[in-house]
Amino acid sequence: MVEAQLVLTALMGLFLAGVAVWLSRIEDWRSYTPLAGGGGAVGEESGYAHDEKPSGLIRWLTTVDHKDIGILYGAYSIIAFAVGGIMVILMRTELLTPDEAIIGSQFYNSLLTSHGITMLFLFGTPMIAAFGNYFIPLLVNAEDMAFPRINAIAFWMLPPGALLVWAGFLVVPFTDIQPAQTAWTMYTPLSAGVGTGTQAGVSGLGIDFMLLGLHFTGLSATMGAINFIATIFTDRGSDVNWANLDIFSWTMLTQSGLILFAFPLLGSALIMLLLDRNFGTTFFLAEGGGPILWQHLFWFFGHPEVYILALPPMGLVSFILPKFSGRKLFGFKFVVYSTLAIGVLSFGVWAHHMFATGIDPRIRASFEAVSLAIAIPSAVKVFNWTTTLWGGNLRLTAPMLFCVGAVSNFIFGGVTGIFTAAIPIDLVLHDTYYIVGHFHYILMGLLAFTVFAGIYYWFPIITGKMYQKRLAKWHFWLTMIGTNITFFAMLLLGYLGMPRRYATYTFGVGPQQIIEVLHQVTTLGAFILLVGQIIWVWNMIQSWYEAPTLQDNDPWDLKETGQFTNEWGWNERRLETAITDGGEEEETAMTDGGDPVDGSADTE
Amino acid sequence: MDDQPGLSDQYRMSSPWPLIVVLGLLFSELGLLFNVFPVAVGGLLLFVGAIAGIVLESGYADRPWNLLAGLGVALCVLGALVTVTQLDSVTFDAIATVVGRPNGIVGRGVELLIAGIVSVVIGAGGRFAESESI
Repeated sequence: MVEAQLVLTALMGLFLAGVAVWLSRIEDWRSYTPLAGGGGAVGEESGYAHDEKPSGLIRWLTTVDHKDIGILYGAYSIIAFAVGGIMVILMRTELLTPDEAIIGSQFYNSLLTSHGITMLFLFGTPMIAAFGNYFIPLLVNAEDMAFPRINAIAFWMLPPGALLVWAGFLVVPFTDIQPAQTAWTMYTPLSAGVGTGTQAGVSGLGIDFMLLGLHFTGLSATMGAINFIATIFTDRGSDVNWANLDIFSWTMLTQSGLILFAFPLLGSALIMLLLDRNFGTTFFLAEGGGPILWQHLFWFFGHPEVYILALPPMGLVSFILPKFSGRKLFGFKFVVYSTLAIGVLSFGVWAHHMFATGIDPRIRASFEAVSLAIAIPSAVKVFNWTTTLWGGNLRLTAPMLFCVGAVSNFIFGGVTGIFTAAIPIDLVLHDTYYIVGHFHYILMGLLAFTVFAGIYYWFPIITGKMYQKRLAKWHFWLTMIGTNITFFAMLLLGYLGMPRRYATYTFGVGPQQIIEVLHQVTTLGAFILLVGQIIWVWNMIQSWYEAPTLQDNDPWDLKETGQFTNEWGWNERRLETAITDGGEEEETAMTDGGDPVDGSADTE
Repeated sequence: MDDQPGLSDQYRMSSPWPLIVVLGLLFSELGLLFNVFPVAVGGLLLFVGAIAGIVLESGYADRPWNLLAGLGVALCVLGALVTVTQLDSVTFDAIATVVGRPNGIVGRGVELLIAGIVSVVIGAGGRFAESESI
């Protein structure tokens, strides 16, 4: 034991020395590129350009440029998406047959837990931050994010967070530590390690790792949110005001507000759970605060989290859909108001996750009312999107297809949600596959679809290339068909009473044969989705490396309809600057619906 | 908006500190949670050092030493609080007993205290060594 401590101490000392050496090498590089500002506030001096980034791997490890960090966020999220996807493919394969055939139920439970956590915290939230980081400063004409270094800290919190969340899987071949099997909601007393059948002792370390990892991703999201709020409030260019702020920035601003109120609460609740697990506190034990306290705290975070994951995707639809409809977003103001309304209401619906826990019926009724009410601003958005399309000059490009698909899926996801907001229906459908189908229509059908739309739409800016259109169409149709097969079958499974989270379905609930067929259909849909995503990844990588450099500054012909927004204006200036060998200032003033875009003469 | 997009001459777009801040926080949390003395102390030192470094680099401070010592004091206070709450009475004997006894909470308190003391010493030492004005 003492020797182990000594070895650890030596290793830690070596690590600290390594950090010091690395720092001095970076400082060495920096000595050739003196910091403008000379110890004073950043950005006070200017007048000479220099190489502001080192090269190679060091560039990516040390970058504080919002575009680089956006790309890092994106790459990280896509890796997490792949990991979460592979997890679910294993689970769906197991569910092909009613009995435990391919993977054990314990491993299934671990995959189930990590799939949820991975997709929500390691893919969804960071992927939205990827778009935000790359495009919010461009859209609001800011130099960079308000706090570039905090931006980098926020990103670098994520890879350790992911490693900790997945730590159980990484060490399970070598140790007795098991990956967490608590489901993503981490309900106590199961997650507190109390009672029989829970992960106790060494095996439960996987839960501690996961909680710590989640804590890291929560810190990351909070820091990112503060940065977005500060950027949008204080760093806008002189030509961007509240009246002409674009819809994506509005949704990112609202989402950041939600994060600011929701994620610190998750962080605190996680620490309380860690204290319960490791320090003998009784926050969530029956003799202390009680297990229901966890559900209240968790869902007070958890339901706003749903909108944290849904508002920016709605913003992406509102942003991209008009570009390919040849007309402006119908009722822009009301889309903004509905975003703000959803943001406020989202904090008043959390207990609808707890209708079946036996809480006071009067409390249940009030949460039912607010849950039904939140459907109104959501529907406002759907109607505005539909009316934007109505009579428009539609161009079915890949981003447009994904936007239209997202609207369609959102209607399915939203309407099934209204049903479960009603207490009597919720009591029947609670904890069945219906719920799984409902929220996957939102998360896969809306979030992932709009992520694809955004990536296709901005691919020319990020890479300077164009994706392969035929592959993109294949990707869309496989994803659309796969999504609807998978999650519609889940809705039906829920109606038949199939409970969620089970590795087997040999127990006698509902018509066994139909349930088996529906499970197989769901798995088929998941495999169709897998094929679609492989095509997408191939398309992205091959197009980035091999496609010819795009010469067109306006690949979507946005100028024709007066929708050439700031980020495309920035891209155009960048390309023209590159053509003139980076030395000359371009005189061309670009227009954005008649207004001058380039405010560089006025800004600092 | 800059006239040369992608090429800012206002500030450098690179900093080694964010990564180090994260590593410091990571090791402090891991060390404190699982009560691994070297990881906790090393992580806390890295964390407070990196905060002092990043604040210095951002131009919010001319020297890192005051901040480093201040953060060290904060760690000392926190560690002392965690330790003292485990004592029956604040006497040397009581401290000696509780430090020798395998009590998880005291272990964490001592880790915080030691990291804090080292930070204060380095901060004060740095101030002393760099005592001439800039």
